[in-house]
Amino acid sequence: MRFSRHRSTRLLGRLCFYAYCSLSYIFLLSPIVVVIATSLNGPSSTSEASFKFPPENLSLHWYWNIPSAQLEALGLSFGLALVSAIFACLLGVPAALGLVRSNLPGKALIAAVFRAPLQIPSIVTGIALLQLFYVIGDATGFYWQGTLLGLAIGHIFVATPFVVGTVTAILQRFDRRLEEAAVIHGATPWRALRRVTIPVIMPGVYAGALYAFMVSFGDVPIAIFLTAPGFVTYPVEIFYALENDFDPSLMASATLVIFICLLALLVVQKAVGLDALLKSGGTGSTR
Amino acid sequence: MYVRWWLLLIPPFVISFTLVAASQFVFLESSFFKDLGLGRIGDEFVLDNYVQFVTDSFFLRALWVTIKTSGLAALFTLILGFPVAYMIARMRSQWAMILLAGIVISTFITIVIKVYGLIVIFSANGMFNQALLGSGLASRPFSIFGNTSGVVIGLMHFTLGFGVLLLYSIVQTIPKSLEDAAQIHGAKRWRVYYRVIFPLALPGITAMLLMVFNMCMGAFTSAALLGGGRVFTLPVLIQRTVMMDIKYSLGATIAAVLLVSVIAINILSIFLVRRMRAAHLVMV
Repeated sequence: MRFSRHRSTRLLGRLCFYAYCSLSYIFLLSPIVVVIATSLNGPSSTSEASFKFPPENLSLHWYWNIPSAQLEALGLSFGLALVSAIFACLLGVPAALGLVRSNLPGKALIAAVFRAPLQIPSIVTGIALLQLFYVIGDATGFYWQGTLLGLAIGHIFVATPFVVGTVTAILQRFDRRLEEAAVIHGATPWRALRRVTIPVIMPGVYAGALYAFMVSFGDVPIAIFLTAPGFVTYPVEIFYALENDFDPSLMASATLVIFICLLALLVVQKAVGLDALLKSGGTGSTR
Repeated sequence: MYVRWWLLLIPPFVISFTLVAASQFVFLESSFFKDLGLGRIGDEFVLDNYVQFVTDSFFLRALWVTIKTSGLAALFTLILGFPVAYMIARMRSQWAMILLAGIVISTFITIVIKVYGLIVIFSANGMFNQALLGSGLASRPFSIFGNTSGVVIGLMHFTLGFGVLLLYSIVQTIPKSLEDAAQIHGAKRWRVYYRVIFPLALPGITAMLLMVFNMCMGAFTSAALLGGGRVFTLPVLIQRTVMMDIKYSLGATIAAVLLVSVIAINILSIFLVRRMRAAHLVMV
């Protein structure tokens, strides 16, 4: 009798624990679920009815009525995020290799410079870059704000530390003897790098690229200063839309963005596995 | 094999350093010149902007609101996130990866999109308030827009994911055998948490709290969207000062204060942790 009561209280405790844990999931995921569901509302006369949850008379009506401004912004954001991810890798991978493998005196300080974009609030980065672009523009006559170049510089700047973080995490565990073995067997250092080191750090590169993509794709505080009217990224476009009128088609385009994010995550998961993603990034990258 | 690896550092370092140093210099330097409005600044080196910041209660209040919301968000991230991280870290099944994926997805989706979901959920006749009013727990609808609790909720939407991922890796470093040992010797479940897991995780928890606090202090988007033009944290104030009032040097002053207070709070807490460690209040 006593035994069974003990067991049932333990079961109850365990259930309470799981219920408590599920709160976090409800908190994090419910807005996303609601956006996806609400985007399926059918057309209606009042705007109130367009935001019904759960949705009524399911239709894809709003998907066919996404304004072109939103689609253009989405295209710009997607392209910008790709460019940022690629360049963040081109800068971040050599930086990580240099950081882990050299023994320069002020290495900690150099590492701090690479981490700096994560420490400085993005809004400060945004204004500071805008000011810098003004200065450069006044000197050269070519202003970078409101151009793809200027936006890309801002996003590459904040995205690079993520790649440095993920690749560094892998390189620190890397067994240098693998490379040495390749060289002993006649490989040139360049060939050893290409055939041994690069494949080993690839999971870190993918993970870093994914973080870089996401940082660029969701950024408001930097882009808000570096975009120009008619040349706006998607998050900034809907950031302004929130301040103004509330258009039900936003739910549809937001759902598209959610699926792009899922797709990007899936691509990386297929390439290197979610395990590699979590081990090399997430925690290591932001430190 | 001798390779000059440091050569690889030069291009990325030069680019990163130039961007950090040049942009911060140009921006922060302007904080020492008098703001004449409309983007014009004086050419005398003065501390007027800083004097204005410390004498105007509006700015000091904003600093306090920023610290308060960031602290609350960090605290709630720990309270909500730790059990989840613990649960996933101790799970042996396939579910662990799926649950982690859920966290990662939610972290990746920008708050600008989530805020639409929050608007629907918390609207006056949305499901949350219908349930709240229906149950009789509250007499009027609860809004998360334009108040500090909303800002904390917004901040937590990006800190909770990071917090769980970080705490997950911390819990993984605590061997399960220690818990088993405590339990075999008759410790109750909560006692195992309190005397075994918590002390071992404390350095990691402190690091997580600091990191999340830092992220929140600089967070713009969620604070701006959920503050609804009524709650002013320093990042929101910086954006408004620069974009709406077109006062660059005053904005730069607020940014300088933000940067300095973040650094100061970090140094202070590192110092505190050292002291605690010296007094053996923290293990490890």
